Amino acid sequence: MVGAPTPASTEAREALRDAMVRLAEGDSTALEQIYSATRVKLYGICFRILGDTKEAEDALQDVYVNLWQRADRYDPDRASPISWLATFARNRAIDRLRTGKVRGGAVPVEEAVPLPDAAPLADQLMIDGERAARVHTCLEALEEPARTNIRSAFFDGSTYAELAEDADVPLGTMKSWIRRGMMKLRTCLETGE
Amino acid sequence: MSDKNEMTDGIERDDAMIAIEYTFGLLDGQELMTARGRVANDPAFAAEVALWEERCAPLLDEIAPMEPRADLWPQIAASVAVQQADQSDEDAGASSNVVDLQARVRRWQWTAGLTSAAAAVALAFAAFGPDATQAPGQVPPTQIATADPLVAQVPIGDTGLRLDVTYIPDSEKMLIGAIGLTADGVHDHELWLVPADGGDLQSLGVVEPGKVLSMELPETIAQNLDDGVQLVLTREPIGGKPEGVDAGPVVAEGAFSQV
Repeated sequence: MVGAPTPASTEAREALRDAMVRLAEGDSTALEQIYSATRVKLYGICFRILGDTKEAEDALQDVYVNLWQRADRYDPDRASPISWLATFARNRAIDRLRTGKVRGGAVPVEEAVPLPDAAPLADQLMIDGERAARVHTCLEALEEPARTNIRSAFFDGSTYAELAEDADVPLGTMKSWIRRGMMKLRTCLETGE
Repeated sequence: MSDKNEMTDGIERDDAMIAIEYTFGLLDGQELMTARGRVANDPAFAAEVALWEERCAPLLDEIAPMEPRADLWPQIAASVAVQQADQSDEDAGASSNVVDLQARVRRWQWTAGLTSAAAAVALAFAAFGPDATQAPGQVPPTQIATADPLVAQVPIGDTGLRLDVTYIPDSEKMLIGAIGLTADGVHDHELWLVPADGGDLQSLGVVEPGKVLSMELPETIAQNLDDGVQLVLTREPIGGKPEGVDAGPVVAEGAFSQV
């Protein structure tokens, strides 16, 4: 998706970190700056999980309004700001999915197609600029059916029950597949740490 | 059957595995609620979840970015402005004894296992704003919704305390206020709707003492809300009723009435 991080992306990351700190200190004007820098990434995440424009818009609004209240939970020494924000957005979208309001559900993994992308990729803040994080390789290294199902859980917000239904297997079978995969994923990740 | 598999397929479902399952979003129903409760109350479990969130965050780069519609920002700015105005009121001491909304919206996870949309937060401010501060349990004099709300009071023994439950049909939002109640650190209390058609009790989540929770109701619950419908409060282990066991003793009850 991208190459090595450019000086611009490092600057963008630092600017975002700075804005998060200012927001936590009560400077609400920082929110607009954060919105400008992160909306395409966070909206992409909300849409991917929720699979519905209206729901994704509501979720995105939810994310930023809550961010205004919770920016003090962000620890600038611990996590990269875009990583924290992306996780925050995914969690809010998943919460929304689980309230049962979303009927359509997420875009099934086999139907997922490249989505309209109005923002140049170069402007996108990457969590993992060099794509060096071990989780990519560890996840890809998993065997089927674990790999596809774990990806579907992460990217589409599918639960055990939904995955079992989609695959037409008993719930216990799906849990076994995924848990075995997760054990391998964990071992792989911890080997690299 | 599936329980048996879980025990015998050679994988111990320890806390770390539950944290992974929670992080990936695999859990639903009672298991999800329990895990959410643990994220809020169990620092070791929360740390395990945070570790997995951090590990997995780089995967989110794989998701294609999308441009939201242009008029979303003005809406967000407006919501924040409303909250700021309310915060100023609070800072001025207008509502010292009420609804620690500030603390509530700062929560990373909802102990109740139910989530509020930002709109619900704004609604909570409107419904329980400064006008209602002297009597947080009473029906607020001004409603921003047009349909008549349903309200229920669930008195807690003879303590004089009660749960205040307000449902605003137009918005599908429910507010559960537990002002004055304190946690005993050993139990949680879970609120249940008793459907008039005799169906199974439906959980409205774990009550958070001293707070007002706002939640969006799933249609499956909202359709059962009506004048006269009963609510019961049960005493449960921390995190709410565990899956596969009966609910705890009923400690309080009440019923909805239309206002």
